[in-house]
Amino acid sequence: MRALGRAAALVAAGATIAGCAGGPGGGGSGEKISDGKVVLAVLNDQSAIYADLSGKSSVTAVQMAVDDYKARYGGKAVVKDIEVVSADHQNKPEVANSKAQELYDRQKADVILDVPSSAAALAVAGVAKGKKKIFMDIGAATTELEGAQCNKYTFHYGYNTWMLAHGTGATVTEDGSKNWYIVYPDYAFGQDMQKNFTAAVKDAGGTVIQADPAPFPNDNFSTFLLKAPGLDPKPQVLGTMQAGGDLVNLVKQYNEYKLRDKGIGLAVGLMFITDIHSLGPDALAGTKFTDAWYWNATPENRAWADKFQAKAGKRPSFPNAANYSAATQYLEAVQRAGTDGADAVVGQLEGHTFEDVFAKNATIRAQDHLLTHDVSLAQVKPSSEVTEPWDYEKVLKPIPADKAFQPASPACKL
Amino acid sequence: MPRTDLAPLLEVGGLSAWYGEAQVLREVSLRVGEGEIVTLVGRNGAGKTTLLRCLMGLQGRYSGSIRFRGTDIARLPAHRRARQGLGYVPDDRGVYSTLTVEENLTLPPRVGPDPWTLPQVYQTFPRLAERRAFPGTKLSGGEQQMLALARVLRMGARLLLCDEPTEGLSPLIVRQIGEILREVKRQGTTVLLIEQNVHFAATVADRHYLLAEGRVVESLDNDQMRTREHELLDHLGI
Amino acid sequence: MLQQAFNGLVGGAFYALLALGLAVIFGMLGVVNFAHGAFYMLGAFGSYILLDHFGVGFWAALVTVPLVLGLAGALLERLFVRRLAPLDPLYNFLFTFGLALILQDLVKREYGVQSQPYPRPEALAGTVDLGLFTYPAYQVFVLAVSLVVCGAVWVVLTRTRVGMIVRAATERPELTRALGIDVGRWVTPVFGFGIALAGLAGVLAAPMRAVNPLMGADLIITVFAVVVIGGLGSIFGSVAAGFAIGLVSALGNLYVPALSQTLVFILMAAVLLWRPAGLFGREESPS
Repeated sequence: MRALGRAAALVAAGATIAGCAGGPGGGGSGEKISDGKVVLAVLNDQSAIYADLSGKSSVTAVQMAVDDYKARYGGKAVVKDIEVVSADHQNKPEVANSKAQELYDRQKADVILDVPSSAAALAVAGVAKGKKKIFMDIGAATTELEGAQCNKYTFHYGYNTWMLAHGTGATVTEDGSKNWYIVYPDYAFGQDMQKNFTAAVKDAGGTVIQADPAPFPNDNFSTFLLKAPGLDPKPQVLGTMQAGGDLVNLVKQYNEYKLRDKGIGLAVGLMFITDIHSLGPDALAGTKFTDAWYWNATPENRAWADKFQAKAGKRPSFPNAANYSAATQYLEAVQRAGTDGADAVVGQLEGHTFEDVFAKNATIRAQDHLLTHDVSLAQVKPSSEVTEPWDYEKVLKPIPADKAFQPASPACKL
Repeated sequence: MPRTDLAPLLEVGGLSAWYGEAQVLREVSLRVGEGEIVTLVGRNGAGKTTLLRCLMGLQGRYSGSIRFRGTDIARLPAHRRARQGLGYVPDDRGVYSTLTVEENLTLPPRVGPDPWTLPQVYQTFPRLAERRAFPGTKLSGGEQQMLALARVLRMGARLLLCDEPTEGLSPLIVRQIGEILREVKRQGTTVLLIEQNVHFAATVADRHYLLAEGRVVESLDNDQMRTREHELLDHLGI
Repeated sequence: MLQQAFNGLVGGAFYALLALGLAVIFGMLGVVNFAHGAFYMLGAFGSYILLDHFGVGFWAALVTVPLVLGLAGALLERLFVRRLAPLDPLYNFLFTFGLALILQDLVKREYGVQSQPYPRPEALAGTVDLGLFTYPAYQVFVLAVSLVVCGAVWVVLTRTRVGMIVRAATERPELTRALGIDVGRWVTPVFGFGIALAGLAGVLAAPMRAVNPLMGADLIITVFAVVVIGGLGSIFGSVAAGFAIGLVSALGNLYVPALSQTLVFILMAAVLLWRPAGLFGREESPS
């Protein structure tokens, strides 16, 4: 009895030591899930201009993805312990950089999600590359993420400036508004948008008569609005690349000066549903824009939006849904790989084709890690057609994935 | 040796004042009798201006007693002291650039029993009448000094606190100011005057206090002032 | 071109109202009110809240919001600014700066950062024929209100005894006390009035600008430049510089768009090099 007891104790001790070696912080060869758990980190703007668009509500969306994953696989889930953490990068690249390092190192994040603002996103992509950890960007629009600054661990998920420009720019031009006057905010995003729009308009047979940089931020656009009717030839459409509060300012003043009555339509480069809410639908009624996802487009979307509203207290924006989708696809990739090792998960994500509530006809392109999916050309409803809160959009036509996004850039070497 | 034949209008006792940690007045005591003209003489930094600011209630930190017309005003805010009859003429003359000459004159409330009227002021200072609609600072230095004096006379102040009214002015103007001060005295108004010009001081004033390093070191009458003029000039570094 | 100049004046109308309030507060209290932009924002939010929660429209907001904010400003002066005034000016800098952040964050907490909708008043939806060109009625209204308010302030300042006292107290607060005027009694209403002007600018902004918690923070930086250009504490200077900067930035956007971000600050630097006290400021006397 005594001998047996001692042997049992030894075995137990050995098992404990082995457990320690492969346990938390060990990352031993036998370990499938590092630290015994998967940490999803949402790094986004929780206090400044993009906070309402994504912010904390996207943390809720990611938590929903985790809950749904657990419910889907139950006992068969590769990961039992999944944690969602979040941090505020205040749209500042330097803050994003240090927060990303902290999330990967100290909080043991396996993936960072969201990161709006292009400069911040590029900073985090650099960190991900250095640390060989996965980063799925949703909030930023720059094509640099899948262009010259792409890397093996960075994915771009949801939308980009090329898609906005070609969706809106080409469609509006093809619909007969050949002559454009573009006003853009004078910083990286605005300049990028202006370039892409000009190219898209040209490709569709139109002309950009003039493109003017405006201060950023700016609350007075009247100079540009007054100037527009006097340009030669007279533009048929004013393309604004402003975002957030600047966009609201510009549209309010566009209506003040009654440019629509003077034959100058309005095209908005980047518009979120929160912007429509800010302006009231009548201020924008009839405006066409490219949308990556709309909560009330299909019964499936609506069902998810109801679930989201029950948790977040509001209707989801497309970045909310994209965060849900990215977190879901990440967890699915871990499930398929059987591990959360970054290289294995990247292998599972690359070239993966799928459908979920956010992404239809979707492929995570192996060449440049850009998610391509069907998007749509949408139009703002007049308030007379709005039947419930946040019911602002009418989907005009789908833009298939292969047309919505640019071909992979040769500049990207993964 | 204060004169005792006149009832003291102002009586200062044990006045000390500080700028931050630096003590600039040390236990200053002095008296000014009703109807007197008294000067404070002393080199720059002796504490003369600080003393006037203490009397007026503009100095931040000080202790001691200030009795004016028999009541202690040391704790009163500046505007209440002015209303008791103190008329302040600061060293930079305190003429407002955003006020016209006439507004400069009529800004302060009337505080004394028989203040000068505006016509009286204009009669005495015809130059101010000519320029009544001009911004105060469009006047020459001498005219600004006249304006500052006229202002406290129109208030009807009982005690004028004048901080170097002759500084930087031509001999002609200085003479005019002397005449005005003597006229003021004839009407029974009391004046406490900071003065670097020892000769001028001796011609207008009744008595003098010599300040050095924040203390009253001597009290002089006009005769002493005249006989010791050279010694005093030496002391003042002039 | 003429139209652009007019439009610059409309932009300048906001600068002038805000700078006027800043200037009287700075002049009389020696306090640089960093919370001024936050009160502008509260003005716009006040109108939004009145409309959204109580169905009270623009015209009523135009009167009540500045009034309420003015009272709040007076209270603030009584409770805090006055107590901090005898200390280093730094304390009031920090106080108003902190207050701005708190107000901003409180609104952010309640309404988020996105812009809130606010419609243009029906009566001013049309355009006005100004002879040489037609112009949106609302903008003409904004310019008119700003001119009338600045004009009324001007009349009060130059033609009344109260105005004389405020001018004197703004130029030389200490001397004015020494001349028998209870400056402290006027400080509270003047502070409240300055805040009310910021609130008025906010109400006027609501129908034509984005109503969000950051609207004041973005604008106030330019307004500080305006006040510096006009001459710190100079009431006339701040109003004149307000309209001038409106004009300059409108024409700057038109002719040198590349400089539009920095033009105001380049101008400020140039003015300071040329006249360190600003266009209408007084040089500090060495004493």
